[in-house]
Amino acid sequence: MARQKRSHHRLKRAVAPYLYLSPSLLIIGLLMLLPMVTVISYSFQNSAVLRRDPSFAGLKHYQAIFADPVFWASLWHTLYFTCMSVVFHMTIGMIFALMLNSDRINPTLRNILRVLYILPWLFTAVIIAVIWRLLLEPNGVVNSILMQLGIIGSKIEWFSSPETALHAVTFANIWAGYPLFMVSLLAGLQGIPKDFYEAADIDGAKAYQKLIFITIPQLMPIIISISLLDFIWTMQVFPLIWITTGGGPIYSTEVLSTYTYKLAFSSYNLSQAAASAVVILLISLGLTLFYIRYQKAR
Amino acid sequence: MAEVILENICKTYGNNFRAIDQLNLSVEDGEFLILVGPSGCGKSTALRMIAGLEDVTSGSLRIGGTDVVDMPPKDRDIAMVFQSYALYPHMTVFENIAFSMRLAGKPKAERKKRVDEIAKTLQLTSLLDSKPANLSGGQRQRVAMGRAMVREPAAFLMDEPLSNLDAKLRVQMRAEITSLQKQLGVTTIYVTHDQTEAMTMGDRVAVLKGGVLQQVDTPKRLYEAPVNAFVAGFIGSPSMNLFEATLTGDELTTGAFAIRLQDAAFARRPGLRSYAGRKVVFGIRPEHLHDSSLESGRKYQTIPAKVTSIEELGSEHIVHLSIDAARVDSGDPDAVQDFGMASNAVAKFEPDSAVRSGSEIRLALDDTKLHFFDPETHLAI
Repeated sequence: MARQKRSHHRLKRAVAPYLYLSPSLLIIGLLMLLPMVTVISYSFQNSAVLRRDPSFAGLKHYQAIFADPVFWASLWHTLYFTCMSVVFHMTIGMIFALMLNSDRINPTLRNILRVLYILPWLFTAVIIAVIWRLLLEPNGVVNSILMQLGIIGSKIEWFSSPETALHAVTFANIWAGYPLFMVSLLAGLQGIPKDFYEAADIDGAKAYQKLIFITIPQLMPIIISISLLDFIWTMQVFPLIWITTGGGPIYSTEVLSTYTYKLAFSSYNLSQAAASAVVILLISLGLTLFYIRYQKAR
Repeated sequence: MAEVILENICKTYGNNFRAIDQLNLSVEDGEFLILVGPSGCGKSTALRMIAGLEDVTSGSLRIGGTDVVDMPPKDRDIAMVFQSYALYPHMTVFENIAFSMRLAGKPKAERKKRVDEIAKTLQLTSLLDSKPANLSGGQRQRVAMGRAMVREPAAFLMDEPLSNLDAKLRVQMRAEITSLQKQLGVTTIYVTHDQTEAMTMGDRVAVLKGGVLQQVDTPKRLYEAPVNAFVAGFIGSPSMNLFEATLTGDELTTGAFAIRLQDAAFARRPGLRSYAGRKVVFGIRPEHLHDSSLESGRKYQTIPAKVTSIEELGSEHIVHLSIDAARVDSGDPDAVQDFGMASNAVAKFEPDSAVRSGSEIRLALDDTKLHFFDPETHLAI
């Protein structure tokens, strides 16, 4: 009897953690895993969703995508868009964080700058897209300022010219995304003991040496984590590009997300769209695994 | 190697708070000077001013004959050991110690040679490739010392370097730092709030209170001849007992008891006679109060006291007592902790003392060890 009681108690103890986890597991299963599995299965079907009894298609849709030059162009655009965004998010975030952390700047000014610098973060993607569409209009503020300064000779159609469109959306995304880095790095900077800098002062370190030998190594864990997260998120950016350029002109800003969207909801080729979505999933998954491994290694 | 001379150094902060007031201090070449005082007395500020981490409001500061007031820290030829050690966590022990040489652009071979030498002195050779996180407190402390030594500075500045160590290790590191300083012969200024460190490590000790220098002297002189009640109370553990009494003829009277003073006491302090008929503050250290029932206490005159509590430490008993006399505050904020609610005096008895908590005893008092202070100015008489 006593033994039975004890084993019962043990079982309860063993099951308890899973019971606590079950609500979140259920929600993740329903909202994340199920759609994911469904999309993966669509990518191997002919006329997925559209027909009741879709037939197995094998790798046909994948072959179709890989044969499509627009897919490769959008993959390249995605990489350009993402890499540039992450690098500049980090650089600008770092510069602003260093400024906000510097005691050489008047505290009142610092507080004002802190609010100003964080503003882009308060806007949703749609508003950011609209703001930049207005600013970068041929008759917009940016062109008029650049012309008055004599930097450009004629009005540039930033979002409508194939040469500038990708740079323009990347620029808008850089503007929208640096505050995450800024805030994280600022928190990191404030956590670096002052003693490190004082010891370095006594050892004769110049400002740039303190940055290289103390600040950046101390911030490295934050830089790597946030960069990886930013990379994963930026790869999937959709609304900003959709509202500013819609992937055009002539596919010049087509990224994997807009490419997939168009396949699904313009061409109604849901199976190919699913295949493209799986490609995005695989790239994101690779990066996520890298991120998890990095987090574990720490 | 150099002497460090502070002349009329003042430090006032933006809110008009004066952290250091007219500090004059001269540290000789090769001397080990301890700056000690209760928290907030300005000792760390003084050290940071010498290091150049804090601006000097007024006054002159010379290291090795050079006026360094307007010099950045790196040009002052000093090295500092921080309370937190300030070791860079992302660098190995080797890189930490070699950091200043790397900044100075010294070649790799030279760096290695010098660091190896220092590591040998500090017994860190096997740890050179470790990161600070993997070291014990004592090892980190030694790395911090190594980082200071590598620069071969004119002076070492140490800001409470042992306060993060546990008690046992502190005793060991105290001895290590002292012998290292003797071996290197580098002028050293050492800040601490721990008066055991102050008494055991330094050639001389400077006692600060509220930004004002109270006394600079050898540990022995500070203990035997404190210049005022504050130094008397601050130096020694537990603190000196200070009471108010009236000098009536040859006797100190408190109303409840009288202590007869010998002629020698007046001979040594010519000023004491002038307090006749007036109030005076007298002080006696816990180790000069004895249990009158023991051999050690028999030869002294006694006063009545009530035992309030006893701390048996094995080698001695710290006995908290209540004496019918008005206790005088030395002005040391830490000293209050020595006294409980009911007690106003502390004595150190030998371990074979049989006194019990709550009992009324006769307290033997070595009257040759009495100290006298002016009740107004608290200056020694």
